[in-house]
Amino acid sequence: MEEEIFEQRTDLSKLSQAVELMKTAIGQIVVGQQETVELLIAGILADGHLLIEGVPGVAKTLTAKLISRAIDAQYSRIQFTPDLMPSDVIGTAVFNPKTTEFEFKQGPVFGNIILIDEVNRAPAKTQAALFEVMEERQVTVDGTRYPLQEPFVILATQNPVEQEGTYRLPEAQLDRFLFKIEVKYPTLEDEIAILTRQHQHKTADQLNDIEPVLSAQDIISIRKQVRELYVEPKILEFVAKIVHESRNSKSLYLGASPRASLAIINGAKALAAMKGRDFVTPEDVIWITPAVLRHRIMLTPDKEMEGVTPDEVVAQIIQKIEIPR
Amino acid sequence: MVKAVLHNDSSVVQIKHFDDAELARLKQKPQFQYNSEPSGPSLWSRFWRWFWHLFDGVDAPRGIGMRWFFIFLKYLFISLGVAAIVFIILKLAGVDIRGLIKRKSADASIPFTETLENIHEIDFDLNIDQAIAQHNYRLAVRLLYLRCLKQLSDAQLINWQIDKTNAAYVNELTNPNQREAFAVLTRQFEFVWYGEFAINSQGFQNIKTLFSNFKQTLA
Repeated sequence: MEEEIFEQRTDLSKLSQAVELMKTAIGQIVVGQQETVELLIAGILADGHLLIEGVPGVAKTLTAKLISRAIDAQYSRIQFTPDLMPSDVIGTAVFNPKTTEFEFKQGPVFGNIILIDEVNRAPAKTQAALFEVMEERQVTVDGTRYPLQEPFVILATQNPVEQEGTYRLPEAQLDRFLFKIEVKYPTLEDEIAILTRQHQHKTADQLNDIEPVLSAQDIISIRKQVRELYVEPKILEFVAKIVHESRNSKSLYLGASPRASLAIINGAKALAAMKGRDFVTPEDVIWITPAVLRHRIMLTPDKEMEGVTPDEVVAQIIQKIEIPR
Repeated sequence: MVKAVLHNDSSVVQIKHFDDAELARLKQKPQFQYNSEPSGPSLWSRFWRWFWHLFDGVDAPRGIGMRWFFIFLKYLFISLGVAAIVFIILKLAGVDIRGLIKRKSADASIPFTETLENIHEIDFDLNIDQAIAQHNYRLAVRLLYLRCLKQLSDAQLINWQIDKTNAAYVNELTNPNQREAFAVLTRQFEFVWYGEFAINSQGFQNIKTLFSNFKQTLA
């Protein structure tokens, strides 16, 4: 019936097809984690950097690696350690005896998809090197600006701060991540499925079988499509109210920034596109908001001591606001 | 051998006397009135003694009922006094007292008056007719959907809440046929309202028929 009344304004078939292929490819190796995969894809389509957090052994790095394999683009990986220097990430000027000149040697950050494993193991000095890279997508060394190529995505993994030998990321850097994706422990059924697959040696064989389903150029054109999706003004108002309420919440010491509002809209657009819609609904906003806000807000010390989580506060905030309809 | 030599003290001794006037003055001071009778309780103390005595029922009527009443009053005043002290302490500590007393559950019903638009107060027939007359089919579809939500709420098939999404209402329906039909209506509404899809008279009539058919399933 609805096909008779409404004709699609935007051709999202290629996008939907690619998303399904990515999900299938990842689902062959990673058991469960549907929400993680959805958020990863949505984040990439929304042109954002993604922070994946979870305790060791929940397939954070594996999932990020699979996502990067599913995209035909230049991939590099940086293992963050406490002694890592900024020049190890962005590159450094090296003296060339032949030309008797210093030449800039690009660091691993020059790529399309950068997997930073255990991002919170590096000290503040190295984290600061990522500020310019993440926001302005460029590197400045010795007064020379080196722009990064598009698409540029940082997939960073981290263990929770409670783990030994980690540093809490600066707020300014956290704000530059579009989503913080929390990878939870698998359910009992999923755990059994993981063991069964591993027992049958399926995982290792299939890891190399992952074929790219999208090229770097595809990502750029899909992002353009996503940016142009329609958002009803009442939904914009809904998002603004959520973010505004976060600044007035008594449970929060630090509310969300305007960058968070933009991130919610961009994330919701990507999610809508993945569902084959060229417009955003309140459900898209509600689904994406916790991933956007959980790392941008700070609980008051008393709420933190009570064991309240940022997700619970976000849920309370959303509950107060009337759904636009 | 050493001989001890004793000398007579020949210095002049000056005899001093108490100042009788000063002694008399000091004797007048209450601090030095050792023989005075202890004074009785102050007026304030006597009031409270009388007050509590009243509750002990000594001076009260002898009836058993009244005696219990005064005992009850006594403990009521004590409780109020303790509550007042706790209140002052909490207030000084900056604790949100209302939050301690009133904990709103997640599913607590929110009065309709708090919503921006009360679906139970809209005159749907009038507003839909006006929207159709103005060829504002988008608004008409929205009103049809809101009326549908009201009908579901009146039939107690959904629990209308401001924070519930359309999908939440769809999932609330237990009858599979109703859920499927309502899911289609929801999708139509979302395309028109959130997606701002252009809709003409014919398209609106199709949607209106779907809503009418759904209403019949509620009867």
